[in-house]
Amino acid sequence: MLKLKILKTLKYNLKATTEQLVMRKIFGLLCILTILLVIPTVQYVLAAGDAPGEYIDRRVEIWNLFFRLMTVAFVIGAVVSGTLIWLVWRFRESNPKAKPTKYEEAGEWQK
Amino acid sequence: MSGHSTWPEWVYIGVVVALLVWVGAESWNVERLIDHVPADAEVIKVTGQQWFWTFEHPDGTKEIGELHLQKGKPYKFEITSKDVIHSFNIPDYVVLQDAVPGRINIVWFVPKDTGEFPIQCREYCGLIHYNMRGTLYVEDTA
Amino acid sequence: MVLEIQKPRPIWQIMFSTHHTDVGLLYLITSLAGLFMGGALALTIRLELFLPGSQIIADSMTFNRIFTVHGTTLIFLFILPFASAIGNYLIPIMVRYKDMAYPKLNAIAFWMIPPGFALVWLGFADFGWTAYAPYSVISAPGPAADMWIFGLKILGVSSILGAINFIVTILKCKHPDLPLSKIPLLAWAYLTSSLIMIVAMPTFAAALLMLLTDRLGVSGFFNPARGGDPIAYQHLFWFTFHPEVYVLVIPAIGFMYEIIPRFSRKPIFSHGSGVAAFILLSIVSFASWAHHMYATGMSFTEKTVFMVGTLAAVPASAMHVFNFLATMWGGRIRFATPMMWSVGGIALFFSAGAGGVVNTAMPLDFITHDSYWVVGHFHLFVMGTIAFGSFGFLYYIFPYVTGRMYNEKWGNIHFIVSFIGAVMVFFTQHVLGLYGMPRRIFDYPPFPEWVAMNQFASIGAMLLGIGAAIFLVNMIYSAAKGKEANMDDPWGIGGKYYYPYQQKNPHH
Repeated sequence: MLKLKILKTLKYNLKATTEQLVMRKIFGLLCILTILLVIPTVQYVLAAGDAPGEYIDRRVEIWNLFFRLMTVAFVIGAVVSGTLIWLVWRFRESNPKAKPTKYEEAGEWQK
Repeated sequence: MSGHSTWPEWVYIGVVVALLVWVGAESWNVERLIDHVPADAEVIKVTGQQWFWTFEHPDGTKEIGELHLQKGKPYKFEITSKDVIHSFNIPDYVVLQDAVPGRINIVWFVPKDTGEFPIQCREYCGLIHYNMRGTLYVEDTA
Repeated sequence: MVLEIQKPRPIWQIMFSTHHTDVGLLYLITSLAGLFMGGALALTIRLELFLPGSQIIADSMTFNRIFTVHGTTLIFLFILPFASAIGNYLIPIMVRYKDMAYPKLNAIAFWMIPPGFALVWLGFADFGWTAYAPYSVISAPGPAADMWIFGLKILGVSSILGAINFIVTILKCKHPDLPLSKIPLLAWAYLTSSLIMIVAMPTFAAALLMLLTDRLGVSGFFNPARGGDPIAYQHLFWFTFHPEVYVLVIPAIGFMYEIIPRFSRKPIFSHGSGVAAFILLSIVSFASWAHHMYATGMSFTEKTVFMVGTLAAVPASAMHVFNFLATMWGGRIRFATPMMWSVGGIALFFSAGAGGVVNTAMPLDFITHDSYWVVGHFHLFVMGTIAFGSFGFLYYIFPYVTGRMYNEKWGNIHFIVSFIGAVMVFFTQHVLGLYGMPRRIFDYPPFPEWVAMNQFASIGAMLLGIGAAIFLVNMIYSAAKGKEANMDDPWGIGGKYYYPYQQKNPHH
């Protein structure tokens, strides 16, 4: 039983490899981006002072945060919508590669 | 419930949570920075009412619909309303805080560019809400 | 089939019926009336805002009334009744029971809607659907304001009664052989959203009463001169309405749970995950209300608490998106009209959520609060997710209700036109907000960027209007003259059209 379960898991993995690899690459890029963006901020933050001429500019802080979040949001958006578009394309009924799901033979896939 | 492996979903949720924690941490940090009012900030009293803004400088000078400030100096706005809720907004400097009757709200900034900048109301306050506008004039220090 | 146009039933028979399919039909017709009437107001607003200055609306007070009634109508007189319609039709079937738990109460809950509808429309208040004090107390013209308050009071009670009915039917009347964990995800959607409703709505009922007594001068809850606090109203309002927006979206997600597995010819990837996500969302939805109030003068700590509460709700929604994508993966998908709407809905749901995460970042609220960013954001939810999910489900349930098929080509055209229109309006409005344009304004200064974006958005709105017109014609014509549907499998996708169409409606 356990062996079967492991095999099942592995089989699932193999089928999904391409997409998962792509996704992993993108999330890896994300992590790098994040770190790259955080470190400069932290340095800037620790450096800000309160004397005349050293006041922080709220515009700059807020818009910088906005653009950092936007970068991340668009990267994730690209991943999600890219996945959705790929799914819609690959698994459409009219795709020459389309084959019936294993539930169709059984005749019913509603619980 | 289903025979599918659930670990991809857990990884996915882990990534989502990590991203959200990052968003929260970054936001908390920036908010902390901009929340800290400098000790030498000059206080400007802002009063919103239907449908115009009045400003009072520390020396007692009053202005209606216009605000003249000096470049590079920190200013702290003490904002209130005489009637309904308004919201004091200088979009070019990302200054925004509600003007609520019965309380005084604080927001501070340093105008780093000279010029004329629009002031607008950002909370529905009735008939002329759409035109409850003013102008901020930032001048070089004399 | 309760609406066989070619074999009409006497109207009074439907009106006085307590059978769940008839009450469902009444809710459905009312909700569609709300959709079109509220939508017409939206088109009016977008036409007016096409250019600075006055176009088709003469003065700002009329404009203010129009956006108020637009918002109130689409939330309380379209989205909520539409959810009740589908719930009424399908919950008894999903739990294998003969009707709702309390059929007469069910009919009463419906019949409270027309008077509420009338009060809102005959009054035409101007203070925005949020009705903030003190404006709504001291400055909003009566009797419009009072009529709105009474109208919403009645609608609120109707919602609570409906929610009670749904909960009791699902929990207590389900078939003894059917464990709760096996009921369809749509039924779970109704269970969780109804639970949120009965916890959240009474707070608003209190707020309305307090507004009314303040208006009458006998109390000063929101009047600082009498020791009250205007911000208290906002707490009461948003304590209800933040969870309430989840009440609006959860049934739409449930609709997608019906459509996506069916048209992918696969079972849902993880039923358990869907259930967990619904339960998690309904609990966490109560932890975020004051993110609507970041600009009111809250302390840093308060804002942080609510930011965390808001972010905590995101993983649950992310679980649904994962579930949908994982279900489609490996399927053999028929892109019939209901499926197109659901897939489009997922894409816009994600965009709406992403914008929401940006909103909830405390400092960014200084850019986005009460600007068109917020308008774009919530419309991506209510139009992009909820209305899209609802349209998809309407097309899906059409053969069930009428016994005929809608016109597939025009259904797809409706989707394409609406998707393009929605993106044109609501994505643009996000940018418009970043450029500083406040919401709820009748006129705006002629900044070239504002004008250009407003025009682009208005064109998108006209596309949405065209889609709605196509939809209306398709629905009416097909109900009367459409091809008769194969009730075992209307789309020829295999499997069973799950819900047995022979509803034992006693009048048939």
